[in-house]
Amino acid sequence: MRILLAEDDSLLGDGLRAGLRQLGFLVDWVRDGEAAERELRAQPYEAAVLDLGLPRKDGLAVLEAIRRAGVKTPVLVLTARDAVPDRIRGLDLGADDYVVKPVDLHELAARLRALVRRAHGQPQECLSVRDVVLNPAARSVRRAGEPVALSAREFDLLQAFMLGADRVLSREQLEQQLYSWGQEVDSNAIEVHIHNLRRKLGATLIHTVRGVGYMLQRDAPPP
Amino acid sequence: MTPLIRTPRSLQGRLLLLVLSGVALVWLVTAALTWFDVRHELDELLDGHLAQAAALLVLQQGGEVENEGRGIDAPMLHRYAPRVAFQVFHEGRLALRSANAPAGPMAGAGPPFAAGFRTVQIEGLAWRVFAAQGAERDVQVYVGEQIGSRGAILRAVLRSTLWPMAVALPLLVLAVGWAVHRGVQPIRRLGRSLAERQPQALHPVAFGDLPAEMLPMIDALNGLFERIALLLQSERRFTADAAHELRTPIAAIRMQAQVAMGEADGARRQHALQGMLEGCDRAARLVEQLLSLSRLEAAEMVQAPAMAAVDLRALARRVVAELAPRAIGKRQALAFEGDTPCTLPGNETLLAVLVRNLVDNAVRYSPAGARIRVAVRPEDGQAALQVEDSGPGLAEADRQRLGERFFRVAGSEESGSGLGWSIVRRIAAVHGLALEVGPSTALGGLSVRVVHENCPDRAGA
Repeated sequence: MRILLAEDDSLLGDGLRAGLRQLGFLVDWVRDGEAAERELRAQPYEAAVLDLGLPRKDGLAVLEAIRRAGVKTPVLVLTARDAVPDRIRGLDLGADDYVVKPVDLHELAARLRALVRRAHGQPQECLSVRDVVLNPAARSVRRAGEPVALSAREFDLLQAFMLGADRVLSREQLEQQLYSWGQEVDSNAIEVHIHNLRRKLGATLIHTVRGVGYMLQRDAPPP
Repeated sequence: MTPLIRTPRSLQGRLLLLVLSGVALVWLVTAALTWFDVRHELDELLDGHLAQAAALLVLQQGGEVENEGRGIDAPMLHRYAPRVAFQVFHEGRLALRSANAPAGPMAGAGPPFAAGFRTVQIEGLAWRVFAAQGAERDVQVYVGEQIGSRGAILRAVLRSTLWPMAVALPLLVLAVGWAVHRGVQPIRRLGRSLAERQPQALHPVAFGDLPAEMLPMIDALNGLFERIALLLQSERRFTADAAHELRTPIAAIRMQAQVAMGEADGARRQHALQGMLEGCDRAARLVEQLLSLSRLEAAEMVQAPAMAAVDLRALARRVVAELAPRAIGKRQALAFEGDTPCTLPGNETLLAVLVRNLVDNAVRYSPAGARIRVAVRPEDGQAALQVEDSGPGLAEADRQRLGERFFRVAGSEESGSGLGWSIVRRIAAVHGLALEVGPSTALGGLSVRVVHENCPDRAGA
């Protein structure tokens, strides 16, 4: 899951990025409000963690701007301001969650996962398509009850497919979901991962739409 | 030396004492004046009567001297008569007298006869006697009156003056007491309402029915309330700000700790642990700064810090020596310039904090390899300090906001609380020093000059 982290404090930002990476998130970190707005408008992040006291552009202003621009990315506001009017204002301006510093890393991750699930209209903790069940918190996948071993990239790719089930995803979209900044993307890496997923989870799960991209089909095709 | 009558502490007692002693004094003076006046008038009147009676007797005697043997004692006609006496002598013989008159002439000692008034002692009593004689000098008349009777009249007059006072005084005590009690009622009410106030209730006292004399006091009290409210408000804001600012380093420490706990890779765990340490240092520094700022504010409000002549050059050199290792660690060239000793009146501890903050900022926010110069020199007879660097400098908008609590220049990599400048500003204000922030002409970065507020070249800088 690729998320944007907007935090101006270097030490806290560094910790958040490292911690969220440990828990399987792909984290892009910006340090000011203008960069946060630019990135949120340019990239399809699954979620964003937004500090309010950002230099150049205040977090609330960023929130207002991206919502007006139609960006639907779930935003978790992380702030030192805990007064109730601040919270109300944040939520009114389009924040999906409001967390006061200091926050527990695991709680933050759980809240982000919940935000992403809800954004995809999926209230349960686990994503499931046919006999495949993906647990984002445990980063585990089962097929017909049996655990399936996936690499980190394969897991992220499968999660992206399951969240966007029944929609065609382009290779560029998948790459954006899979790689944070500064990571080299092999030209055929996506194909390799999809090949592996088909091998481990069955050939009919992911379809290739030639010239467009790939799609995970929720219902099994008739035999 | 204790006064004879201790002035009562209570306003009521004081007013009562003043009013009553005033009234009593006026009354007594009135009584004394009445006494003298009545005595004078009485003397005139009674002396007149004596003279007139004597004249009558002299006239009457002219035709009746021959009535010998008919008895010389005149009858008593009035109860006051025993106190009045007369004698008529004809050719040296007692011709007529009142019953209570002595046989000898009422002339007392002295010359045998002198016309006019005199006071004589007769049988142990003082008499006022008027002596007169006829035209042929053969008839001598004495008319006398006991002086004691005049005293009795006077005393009666005085009694009638003083009696009402004796009766009225206790009544007056009650009346004045009641009036004063009513008069000070608003003060008592004010006292009660102040005593019942909650410590945080700092709304102004309403004037209401308070007497006009108390308005200055109420005004002063309300002014004090207002100042306390302001102080309290700034304290509260400060506490809230401080709590907010501490949240970020604490959040960072917590995050790094969780990263370290969940990290299998040794180098990355080491990095997270390093981050925790850094966070602790930052929180400690923030607390340190908050404390010195709050101490400064408290000192400003309660009392001025102790001032003495401070050698600015020695102080700045010491601070530079202190911070040199940090600058060397960043491969920065930190230099000190100062040829002449410069003293200025101030508090050495506070000035050291000011200089340290300025030099520390220069080291902190200048990149590796930068040049930093600290110079102390006299300017127009006043000590001046300049800290310059070859760092990135500051935009005009950021310069304006320096010293705002917790303001930090955007995009700076260094962690800071934004409190250093608040502290510098306050210390400068306490010392009457002005801070001039601008681009450094020599090094190209930021220049901060600390000069005396009254420096004439300030306007040009």
